[in-house]
Amino acid sequence: MKDNLQLTDVSTVEGQMVSIDLDNIPKLPLDMATMPWKPATDEQKNTTACILDDVCVLNIPKPKDRAEEEELVNKFLDGMRKLFTTENNWPFLPMLETSMDYCAQCNSCSEACHLYEMSGEHEMYRPNFRSEIFRRIYKQYVKKEPLAKWRYGDMGLNWKTVVRLGELSYRCNLCRRCAQTCPIGVDNALVAREIRKLFSQELGINPRELHEKGTMHQMKVGSSTGMTPDVVKDNVEFIDEDYTEITGVGIHTPFDVKDADILLLHNAGEVMAWPENIAAFSLIFQEAGLSWTLSSKAMAYDGVNYGVFYDDAQTARIALQHMLAAKELGVKKIVIGECGHAHKVLTVIADRLIPFEYQVPRESCYVTLRDIVMSGKIKLDPSRNDFPVTLHDPCNIVRLMGIVEPQREIVRKIAPKFREMPCNGVNNYCCGGGSGFAIMTRNNIEQWRGNITGRKKMQQIAEAFKECLGPETRKYICAPCSNCKGQIREILEHNDLYSKNSFAYGGLVELIVNAMVNVNPGFIKWESEEE
Amino acid sequence: MSTFFYLLGYLAFFGFICLAFLKIRSYMKASPLHARWELYPVPHEGEKSSHGGSFMEEKDWWCKPRHVSHTSDIKALVFEVLFLHATFEHNLKLWFRTYPFHVGMYMLMGGIIIVLFSLFLQAVGIAPDNGFMIFIGNVINAVVLFGGLCIVGGGLALIHRRMNDEGLKKYTTPEHYFNLGAFVLFGVLGLLAWACSPSFFNMARDFVCNMLSFNFQPLPSTFFTLHLLLGFFLMAWLPMTHMGHLLMKYFTYHDIRWGDTPTTYSEANKQKIPDMLKYSASWSADHICGNGAPKTWLEIATTNPATPKSES
Repeated sequence: MKDNLQLTDVSTVEGQMVSIDLDNIPKLPLDMATMPWKPATDEQKNTTACILDDVCVLNIPKPKDRAEEEELVNKFLDGMRKLFTTENNWPFLPMLETSMDYCAQCNSCSEACHLYEMSGEHEMYRPNFRSEIFRRIYKQYVKKEPLAKWRYGDMGLNWKTVVRLGELSYRCNLCRRCAQTCPIGVDNALVAREIRKLFSQELGINPRELHEKGTMHQMKVGSSTGMTPDVVKDNVEFIDEDYTEITGVGIHTPFDVKDADILLLHNAGEVMAWPENIAAFSLIFQEAGLSWTLSSKAMAYDGVNYGVFYDDAQTARIALQHMLAAKELGVKKIVIGECGHAHKVLTVIADRLIPFEYQVPRESCYVTLRDIVMSGKIKLDPSRNDFPVTLHDPCNIVRLMGIVEPQREIVRKIAPKFREMPCNGVNNYCCGGGSGFAIMTRNNIEQWRGNITGRKKMQQIAEAFKECLGPETRKYICAPCSNCKGQIREILEHNDLYSKNSFAYGGLVELIVNAMVNVNPGFIKWESEEE
Repeated sequence: MSTFFYLLGYLAFFGFICLAFLKIRSYMKASPLHARWELYPVPHEGEKSSHGGSFMEEKDWWCKPRHVSHTSDIKALVFEVLFLHATFEHNLKLWFRTYPFHVGMYMLMGGIIIVLFSLFLQAVGIAPDNGFMIFIGNVINAVVLFGGLCIVGGGLALIHRRMNDEGLKKYTTPEHYFNLGAFVLFGVLGLLAWACSPSFFNMARDFVCNMLSFNFQPLPSTFFTLHLLLGFFLMAWLPMTHMGHLLMKYFTYHDIRWGDTPTTYSEANKQKIPDMLKYSASWSADHICGNGAPKTWLEIATTNPATPKSES
């Protein structure tokens, strides 16, 4: 394995190229143990090309002979050529080309990246590392520019380069914090996403959680959770019953109400993992007297669209179904629940993918909730939230959509002990689960999220609560995004930070319901209270 | 020989114009309508830009008139170009080196505009020995001295950093050194021409005048001639390198990073989307085209690959 990693090592090193030394990663004020890398099994080593580092996301089969090696390289080059044609990549080609041609190699982006910082500043985690490999291949093998080696640097291209580049595209949370710092406007996160696209759209290689169990499952049964329309309606009915009892307020979640004002689009993962979030939305919307509905149409009860992390075709297909369901119901707008990527796909990306006549206006739930809270439609008692609260900014909603203040207006009104994390708002850091990792746990991905990707967020949280970090004071981490909650939950659970630090985490709606005067007190639970 | 020299000058100028045009055209042709890929803060969002906010913070934003502060965009871009604000904020060590280098180039570019202005004044009857013209001459002589020193100092500092910073070294190619070296030499020749001639301004004015009037008089200074020859080369070479960001920064900022216009407010974009969906894609993965014929994006978006084949 390489200590002094060079760009060209991706094509030359035999076996695993890199191992991140966990002794080099920064220490945090929280009591968090590192998670040792599990060694690959012999079967994995023999069959799978896990040759980048200790993590393996794509599980690319190891080529058996020279012919298979060449086939992999040729398919990759075919994909790269397509990536640079208008016909195949009209939505992203201008951004990709400018990121190929104008990078000054100043490495300003490195300092902005939480993975670079939390890996102990490992060379492989510079946002420019994978981009520069991709650039050199493009200039040398696809564009075939004269003097390419002299001008842009040499890069060997073989099956190892291809496999490692594919894996490298999954060593990024696509948070685009690096792009925000680039003086020229180069976007290394976009390059990572384009590489993911190339692998998925041309080679059919993608993480199974995003593709088979994600978008394909969603298109097959209606939701990536596996819930069919009947199951989701049953589950929500159970949630209504349970939370009617818990809150003391009768909750009824409407489905398929024609001509309602609002179609609320949840991340269906909430139904399975965080039913309190579903109940809280229903309670708030109901008490505020809104005209709203959920849809039981396949795909339209799950706002998830993992396509945005790796594949344009899947992105467009699911976004279209979301729009069509809203059209069919005749709603005035879609309100997107607490799911960051669902916000961005449907509001921003789909805006120029779906013909306008099929579009239905989309609004963030933060905005709708701000309107409810500020209007006085529901009675709130901030003293019920008399515990320290900090707010996590989901990258997709904040940096990539500019929705910064509505959620803060709410929290400031209902949580008297609210405090910001350092680097908040559009300068936030990713939770560490961004771009699909929050739902992946195999092949050391869980260890990677705990050791590297999620570490910066925990550092920010520790800083926000620095004067009350111990178990004595109950604290609430408000993370209004399903994937972000999943990531934060993993780290809190693994390190037992619930009891060591009295942390609870959840969304924005839970915090609102916790302050509603007509609801039984104690909607938010800390570990010590749970049965 | 001097005719050839002037021809090179025209060639460099028109080469720059043509290459700049081709670069911009290539960007525009890459996609008649790309996806929104904005990154906040976006300056034209008015008061909201102070916290990085957008129109999407408003309830029912699509029912409200759209306010775009173009002056804020221009101010932000000018501020960025003049002060390299992003580098200052995120890479201060580099800024101390690259800022003088850029200032030097800005001064020489500005100097050319001032020389053209002086020729205009001369053409409308102001004598070269008029006090104002003498003042302009002094300004140009000062600009060349200061600009040249900035380019040489900044360029050498950048080369030094690229050679000695372990992080940068790995990403530095021979072309980076060549480009920086060429600029340093350009600055050195300019300084030598300045030092060895009574008035750099007079030489520059005469040269520009000769170019405009097709009067191919030999130049009086070897250093000045070499300085210009290298300048011709750099003018034509610059758009072909990553330094073409000089031209493309407008697009990477204005069109991509700040390009947040929702389709609701753009009739042109409403018309373009259906046209984009007519493009045929040939991606080979099973869930797109497989081994079959290319499909339009409309066909792709309206196909469900998870449906069993018999049902599709």
